[in-house]
Amino acid sequence: MLQIIKNEWRFLVRSHLFLGISIIFVCTLILSVFLGNYQTQKQKQSHRNAKNHVRQQWEKIDQLNPHSAAHYGTYIFKPSNLLSSLDEGVNSVTGNVLRVEGHVQNEITYSEASQIQAISRFGKLKSSLLLQYIVPLLLIFLAFNSVSNEKQSGRLKLMVLQGAKPFQIILSKTVAVWLYGVSLLILVLVVYGTLNIHNLTSEILIRTILFFISYILYYFIVSGFTVFFSARWHNATLALTSMMSIWILWTIFLPNILMSSAEKWHPLPSRYEFKSAMKEDRSKGLDGHNPTDNRALALKQRVLKEYGVDSLSQLPINFDGIRMQADEDYGNSVWDKHFGNNRKLLKKQKRSYQLGGILSPFISLQNTSMGFMGNDNLHHQEFLLQVESYRRVFIKMLNDKQTYGGSKTGNWGWKEDNAFFRSVPDFKYTPTTISIVFSNYILDVILLVFWLVIVLILIILGAKKIQIV
Amino acid sequence: MRSLEIFLYEWKHFVRSPFKIIALMLFIIASIYGLHNGADLYEKQHKEIEKLNLNANNQKETIVAYFENGKIGPKDKPWIDVTSPYWAIRNAPTYYFKEPSPAIVYNIGKAEQYGYYKAITTTSSPYDTDMAKEIANPERILSGTLDFSFVVLYLLSLLLLVLLYDIKGAEAEQGFLPLIFVQTGSKNWWMLSRTAFYTTLLLLVLFGLMLYGALLTDVFSEANAFWNIFLWIVGYLIFWCAIYFLILKYGKNTVSNTLQMIGIWLLFAFIIPAAIQQWISIEKPTNLMIDFIDVKRDKSDKIYDQSNLLTDKQLFNLYPSLMNTEIAKDSIRIKGARRSSIRALINEAMKDAIAKIESDHQTKNEIIANTYWFNPVTYSQNKLNQFSKTHYKDYESYRKDIQELVNKRIKIMVIDIWNNVHVDKTKYLTYIESLKK
Repeated sequence: MLQIIKNEWRFLVRSHLFLGISIIFVCTLILSVFLGNYQTQKQKQSHRNAKNHVRQQWEKIDQLNPHSAAHYGTYIFKPSNLLSSLDEGVNSVTGNVLRVEGHVQNEITYSEASQIQAISRFGKLKSSLLLQYIVPLLLIFLAFNSVSNEKQSGRLKLMVLQGAKPFQIILSKTVAVWLYGVSLLILVLVVYGTLNIHNLTSEILIRTILFFISYILYYFIVSGFTVFFSARWHNATLALTSMMSIWILWTIFLPNILMSSAEKWHPLPSRYEFKSAMKEDRSKGLDGHNPTDNRALALKQRVLKEYGVDSLSQLPINFDGIRMQADEDYGNSVWDKHFGNNRKLLKKQKRSYQLGGILSPFISLQNTSMGFMGNDNLHHQEFLLQVESYRRVFIKMLNDKQTYGGSKTGNWGWKEDNAFFRSVPDFKYTPTTISIVFSNYILDVILLVFWLVIVLILIILGAKKIQIV
Repeated sequence: MRSLEIFLYEWKHFVRSPFKIIALMLFIIASIYGLHNGADLYEKQHKEIEKLNLNANNQKETIVAYFENGKIGPKDKPWIDVTSPYWAIRNAPTYYFKEPSPAIVYNIGKAEQYGYYKAITTTSSPYDTDMAKEIANPERILSGTLDFSFVVLYLLSLLLLVLLYDIKGAEAEQGFLPLIFVQTGSKNWWMLSRTAFYTTLLLLVLFGLMLYGALLTDVFSEANAFWNIFLWIVGYLIFWCAIYFLILKYGKNTVSNTLQMIGIWLLFAFIIPAAIQQWISIEKPTNLMIDFIDVKRDKSDKIYDQSNLLTDKQLFNLYPSLMNTEIAKDSIRIKGARRSSIRALINEAMKDAIAKIESDHQTKNEIIANTYWFNPVTYSQNKLNQFSKTHYKDYESYRKDIQELVNKRIKIMVIDIWNNVHVDKTKYLTYIESLKK
C-alpha cells in the first residue's frame, strides 16, 4: 500500500501542471494566512484604540450623579480573537459596537457588512475559504482519473497481478490524494503558528487541533468519493462531472437552502414584534423614573417599613437608587425572557442546520471550522451574555452608589467624584473555552465520521465491483 | 450544415443527456426557490410596514383624544403637555420606511443588512441602534439568502459549464472531430452554433423564470426594473458564454477544458471578490463609530454645559427668525425655550460626525467600484442591487432622507416653541402631515 502511495506521489510530482498549480496555490494559501493575520492585528489595534478612548472618557468623569452616569453609559467593542485570521466566522455580519446603559439591554450594531456595498458572497480571502472551497476541488481534480487512468493504461491489471488487492489500490489512491490536502492544511497551520508563536496558548492549540481533525476528515471524504467514482465509472470525465455535481450540491446548494429553511422552521420574531413584546412586558413593571407609579409607591412603603420611618426624608439612604435598581431588576427579567427566547430559537435553528450534515458533510465542516475557531454564533452569543452580565454589575454599582453613597432621596444634584468612576471596573472579555462549548459540536464531528464510514464502505464495495480490464 | 441543423442535433444530444437535464432542473428548482425567498421578504416587509402604520395611527388617535377630551396628556405622566410644541411633536408618531421594491423578488441584495423602517423623533439619527437589520441568525446572513440573483450570478455559470464542457472535447476524444469539420465546413461556426443553442436555451429558461417571479410581486409597476434586470442577466450570460467559448476553442480535451472553466469560475466567483474584501478590511478597518459616540455623549454634554450666550448665538445662526421672537426678548421664558431647543445644536454636531462616517464608507465603496473592471461578479451583483433598490447607495439615501426628516422636525419644533405656539387638534394634525416626507 505504501508503495502505491509513493508511486502516486512520484507521478504527481512529475506533472508540470500539478507542480505549477500547487506552487500558485501554496503561495495563495501562505498569502491568505499573512493577510488574515495582518488584518486581525489591525482590527485588534483599532479595537484597542476605541476601547481605550471610551474608557478614558469614563475615567475622566469629574463629578456626576451616578444615575446620570448610568445614562451616560459606556460602549463595548467586540474583540477579534487570534483565530479569526484562519476563520472569522460570523464576525463580519454581527456588528461590533454595543451600548451599555441603564434601563435597557441594547443590541450589537454597526457590522462591517453594513458599511460597504456587496463584495464577496463567501467572505474574505481567509485560509478557511481556500481550505473549505478550493482545496476539496483540487483533491477532486487530482483523484478523478486516478483509477480510470490505471484501467485505461492497463496498469491496474498489472498491479493486481503483482499481488495488490483492488481494495488496497483504491484506498492507497485515496490516501495519496488525501495526503496532498493534509499537507496543505499542515502548511497553513505551520505558517499560522510561526506568525503567532508568542501568542499560542493551550486553548488555541486544542482548538487548532480540532480544526485540523475536522478538515482531514472532510478531505478524506472528498478524496474517497472521487476515487470511488473514478473506479466505478467507465470514463474519467463522468467521474469528474459526478464529483463536481456533488461538490456544487454540498457546498453551494444545500448549506444555503438548509440554513434558510432552518430559519423558516424556527422563525425569529421581527424586530417590531420583539420590541413591542418587551415594551408590553416592561410596562407591567416598575418605572424607575416615575415616582408616582403605583409599583414605585408600593416599593416605597416596603422600604419605609423596613427602615421603620414615616417619610423618605427620614431614610438614611437615597430611595431613588433603590427604585432605579428595582426598575433594573424587573427590566432584567424582561430582557432575559425575550432575548433568552431568541437564543433558544437560534439554538434550534443551529441544531436543525447541523442535522443538514446528514446530507452534506460540508455543513458539518463549516460548523466545526468556525466553531473551533471561536467565531460562530454560539461564541457570539456567549460574548453578548458576558456584556449583559457586565452591564448588570455596572448599573448596579451606580445604583448602589446612588442609594448608599450618602445622598438623600430626591437629591438629583448630588454627584460622585472621579475616584468612584475610576473604581468602576472596565469590561473584560473572557473568551469561551472549548471545553465548555465542545458538546455543541459533537453532532458535527459524529456526522463527519459517519460520512467517513460511508466512504470506506463505498471503497470496499467499489473494490469488489471494479472491472480490472 | 446550417445552424438550424446543428441546433436540432444539439437538442437531441441535450434530451439524451440525463446529467445535463438534471443540472438544468436543479437550476430551475433553485431559481424558483430563490424567487419565492425574494417574494417572501417583500411580503414580510410590507406586512411589517402595515403594522407600524397601524401602530402610528393608534398613537395619533390617543393624542387626538386628549385634545378632544380637554386633556393635556396621560394621567400617570403629568409632566407631558401636548398643547406645547415640544410635547406635541414628541408625540407625533412619524415612521419613515424604505418601501421594498417589487424587484426584490429577483434580488435581495443588501436588504438584510439594514433596517427598513425608522421612528423619527427629534433625537433620532440615521445611525441609531434601531436602524439595525432585522433580527436574524448571523450564520444565515453569512451564507446569504438563496435568491434568484445568487442562482444567476453563481450557479448560471456552473450550469453553463455543465452544458458546454464536452463540446469539441468529446468528439476529439472519440475521433469524430475531422468528420464534423468536413460536414460543417467551419469549426468555429459549429462550436459557436452549439454554444448559441445552450445560450438560447438558458435565455428562454431565464426569461420564463423572470416572468414567474413577476407573478409573485408586481414587478412591472416598477419602471423598467424587469427589463433592466433581464438585459443585465443576458449580458452576464453572454460574458460567461464568451469566456467558455474561448476555452473550448483553444482547449485540447474535455478534462483540461473543464478544469480551465472551473478555474475561471473560482477566480471570478471566489478568489477575486474575497481578496478585494480582505484588502479593504486591511486598508480601511471597520468603523467603530467613535466620532458618533463622542457626539452622542461628550459633545452633547458640552453643548448642554456651554454658556447661554453661546447657545443663543448658535441657535440664532441656525434659525435667524428666532432672534425676532418675543421669547428671545423675554429673559425668563427664554430659559425653557433654550433648553428645549438644544437638541437642534446636538443634531448639527451629529450631522458633522455622520458626514465623516459616510465619507469613510464612501472611500471603501470607491475602492470596491474601482475593482469592477476585473471583478465582474461583484459588479453584476451591485448592478442588480441597484435595479432592485437594495444597493448600499439606496440605504445611504434612505439615511439622508431620515436626517432631513429629523432636521425638519427639529426646525418646526424650535420655531414653534420660540413663537409660543399653542397646539390644538388642528395644529397637531398639521404637524403629523408636515413631519412626513
